[in-house]
Amino acid sequence: MAPVVGNVPVQDDGSSSVSSSPLKTFSLMSIQPPSLSPSPYSPWLHELKSDERGLCLIHLLLNCANHVAAGSLDHANAFLEQIALLAAPDGDAMQRIASHFSEALARRALRQWPGLYHALDRVHPVAEATAARRHFFDLCPFLRVSYVVSNQAIMEAMEGEKVVHIVDLNASDPTQWLSLLQALRARPEGPPHLKITGVHEHRELLNNTAVCLSEEAERLDIPFQFNPVATKLENLDVESLRVKTGEALAISSVLQLHSLLATEAAQQAAPAAVGQQLTLGECLDKDHSSSSDSAMPSSPAESFLASLWGLSPKVMVVTEQEADHNGGALSNRFVEALFYYAALFDCLDSTAARSSVERLRLEKVLLGEEIKNIIACEGPERKQRHEKLQRWARRLDAAGFGPTPLSYCALLQGRRLLQGFGCEGYKLRDDSGCLMMSWHDRPLFSVSAWKCNRLH
Amino acid sequence: MAAASSSSVPFFGMREEEQYNNIQQQKLSATPSSSAAGPPAAPAPPKKKRNLPGNPNPDAEVIALSPKALLATNRFICEVCNKGFQREQNLQLHRRGHNLPWKLKQKNPKEVRRRVYICPETTCVHHDPSRALGDLTGIKKHFCRKHGEKKWKCDKCSKRYAVQSDWKAHSKTCGTREYRCDCGTLFSRRDSFITHRAFCDALAQESARLPATMGGQFYGRSAAGLMNLGLPPVNSHQFSSLQDHQTPTPPPPSNDLLRLNGNGADDAMQFDHLPSFRPAAGGSFFLGGGSSQSVNEVVNSHLLQPKPFHGLMQLQDHHASMSSSSAAVDLFNLNIFSNNGNASGATSNAAMNQFPGQFNNATTGGSSNETAYAGNLMSHHFDANMYGNETALHPHMSATALLQKAAQMGATTSNSGGASSILRGFGNLAKNNPGAGFDGVGENSGGAPQAQNEAHFNELFMNSLANGNGTINDQEAAAGFGGVFSTGIGSNINENKLQRNQLAILGAAAAADKLTRDFLGVGGRMRSLGGGVPPRELHLGIDMGSLDSELKSTRSFGGGGGGGRMQ
Repeated sequence: MAPVVGNVPVQDDGSSSVSSSPLKTFSLMSIQPPSLSPSPYSPWLHELKSDERGLCLIHLLLNCANHVAAGSLDHANAFLEQIALLAAPDGDAMQRIASHFSEALARRALRQWPGLYHALDRVHPVAEATAARRHFFDLCPFLRVSYVVSNQAIMEAMEGEKVVHIVDLNASDPTQWLSLLQALRARPEGPPHLKITGVHEHRELLNNTAVCLSEEAERLDIPFQFNPVATKLENLDVESLRVKTGEALAISSVLQLHSLLATEAAQQAAPAAVGQQLTLGECLDKDHSSSSDSAMPSSPAESFLASLWGLSPKVMVVTEQEADHNGGALSNRFVEALFYYAALFDCLDSTAARSSVERLRLEKVLLGEEIKNIIACEGPERKQRHEKLQRWARRLDAAGFGPTPLSYCALLQGRRLLQGFGCEGYKLRDDSGCLMMSWHDRPLFSVSAWKCNRLH
Repeated sequence: MAAASSSSVPFFGMREEEQYNNIQQQKLSATPSSSAAGPPAAPAPPKKKRNLPGNPNPDAEVIALSPKALLATNRFICEVCNKGFQREQNLQLHRRGHNLPWKLKQKNPKEVRRRVYICPETTCVHHDPSRALGDLTGIKKHFCRKHGEKKWKCDKCSKRYAVQSDWKAHSKTCGTREYRCDCGTLFSRRDSFITHRAFCDALAQESARLPATMGGQFYGRSAAGLMNLGLPPVNSHQFSSLQDHQTPTPPPPSNDLLRLNGNGADDAMQFDHLPSFRPAAGGSFFLGGGSSQSVNEVVNSHLLQPKPFHGLMQLQDHHASMSSSSAAVDLFNLNIFSNNGNASGATSNAAMNQFPGQFNNATTGGSSNETAYAGNLMSHHFDANMYGNETALHPHMSATALLQKAAQMGATTSNSGGASSILRGFGNLAKNNPGAGFDGVGENSGGAPQAQNEAHFNELFMNSLANGNGTINDQEAAAGFGGVFSTGIGSNINENKLQRNQLAILGAAAAADKLTRDFLGVGGRMRSLGGGVPPRELHLGIDMGSLDSELKSTRSFGGGGGGGRMQ
């Protein structure tokens, strides 16, 4: 609850002993160009309560995004300066959000100088990214629920099968399959012969996964085989997956499909001039129209999905972020991303301590990079093209898939896992057979299962 | 825990055995009585009792020790220094120090004699040789617990214990980690909490709304796989059976309980009809012991289960001494331990439902139902910096709440002033302050595009707000926030306008509240946090119109929120 402050008249020079006046002052600052120096204002900055500071930050961020989208970088700069005074990567949730979003906006602004932009564009090493993903698994239940639900769907689809082939579109983390191996071992008809084909960009991670899974399979006495396919997802040739005809195949995609939309955008943006990128603004909503019209005969994403359909999987389980981060207009994306990541940062704020190194790394390396990608990148660079499940459903349908509802059992297992997780606020809802994982009513991730439609 | 038999030494000739037995008994009896030279009077010579026919272990030697012998801690006293020892061997080793002759008695490896002990208290169940306990330490503890004085008291709660080890074990877990289910039951063990929640009524109501599926058979098996994902290893069989037989109304429990006679882990199938029976024992519901002909005794046997619930031992003994006719009444008397209010429940089912509270060391007299649920639920992995306080007095708002508040501020200023930007809203308020000294405050000096952008932003903000859903938090928070505005920005601001804004904020929040849907079927606590428009409705409502017809022909996905289709 925002604290109620005393009724003190506000002085017109902007300084005041009352902490509420910064709200007014910040609004005044909206028209002040870079000549604004922060020093006269710093005394009361420290008096800000966290809620007011949070509101200030939101205000500043919106203003800043506004200016960045419009191209008025001087104003954007002024706002970034102000935000820098209040934001902190190790503060409360709003401060952290502001810190990452302001960095993203800064990078966005830097696009005007491509040399600077690329020089400052640093990529986190693979080990950091892997560690961050591990932290995401540990600190938030989303991946766990996704694995549990996906595995349940796979088990149900593979009931009675003697040979099961699974294609994992991101095989850097063996956890999901370790758990599936255990579940298969407990199957009443005995475990099947299991073959997992893992796709990932980096071979080392694939090898690591292979070793992990092979050991576990050995321990559980399940005949097992792991085929690594080291390639980027967009370059994947389904032939290399070596799926035999008539094989019982399951495909699992955890947060992978959205990156395929980047190549789609690249194809579409190619004819447009590069200079237009920055001023796309609200005028251009190319990405919105692409999927629904199918004016393009088959976008890369859809042809990829169609080729997966060609493998005739018994089930394909898809986990995706439930967000609309693929709008053409920066302002759309900014606001959507702000709400979405606010929820995620809130999750973390309530499950991990402020001082937690893991949380910090997760926020910086995983979430921060996603935010930067959504806001500062364009074209094929922008991989984090999250879309809501409904749009994915259309694409999947266009590719020949039909939804198969997740069983009540899967839902219950997911719920139980959430309860065991111990932090209130996470919810798992069924939405016409697909499961939505949400944080306090804000859906964040969706898990859905698809089967092949013969009608296509 | 009837006298369980393990080995069976071949029974030789009667006579030889008798003689041997007598000698053995003599030795046994001699040792304690001779060593108890100290203050306690010489213990009564142990009775040499032959095994009764029909005894589960016919070879077992029944030993009846006197109360003094049972309570005596140091039965073996050194004659030189009067130091007491619990064991003969220890005394002998001590005697070496005094240069006294010592001899260590070896346990005779050929004659492994199974000994069982009976309780000296004649009214006790275990006084009967057929119910003798197999372990000396066990009988001692039993005697203390049941017939002894409770000298040890927990300092955190008010539980008392007669056995020191019980007390120690309890104080280790008392209040350390508590989990509370929505039904009000308190748990100190995470696994029992999770198991309970699985079958708790509150959840059963919600799941009863959805049709049961045949997925249940997978349930148990996949449960094993869940261990990797951080779930505790719950007995998979339980899940499968309960899944298959989920009924909204529980049939009378006593009949079913009669079926639950000590078969161990395979008993899960018999829990079919007990969705409302909420066993608190971690993972293991199963009743041991002999045939139970009354709910009372069945509960007893249940109470004999896992060790951590030391408090139970007292309950169990308490029960055992009652006649079965008064069982129901006494079960209710035990409700003093529980925090649930329905002590007047007329069924033993209800009574048993009270037990979990007791089992898990619920604090007596505490109003546990009212305390913040979330605060107790935090897993031990996570630090104290919790979000758990869901009451109106948030000391610190979440980022989501801040965003919603900011959006609502933008909404109300646009409603009242016609300006459609958050910025402009702030700016207007500042402008109305005569002392401002800034011209054109809040007006866009950046020109028209900026105004459009701001308007656009505000719309986007509101849309995102709609998608994200309001919570009741906003209602309280908004009220407070309106207060900030009205007092903080200065007395010269349009008070009327602000008050109108405040009302608008409250109105907006209240409207958002009306579509509360209680997905998990749990009570007020959850709802207060999550009461918003279910996202499903919003999503499908907004985008429904734009779905392609081909998608509509696909069954179920365009179903517009019609309930989940289950196989």
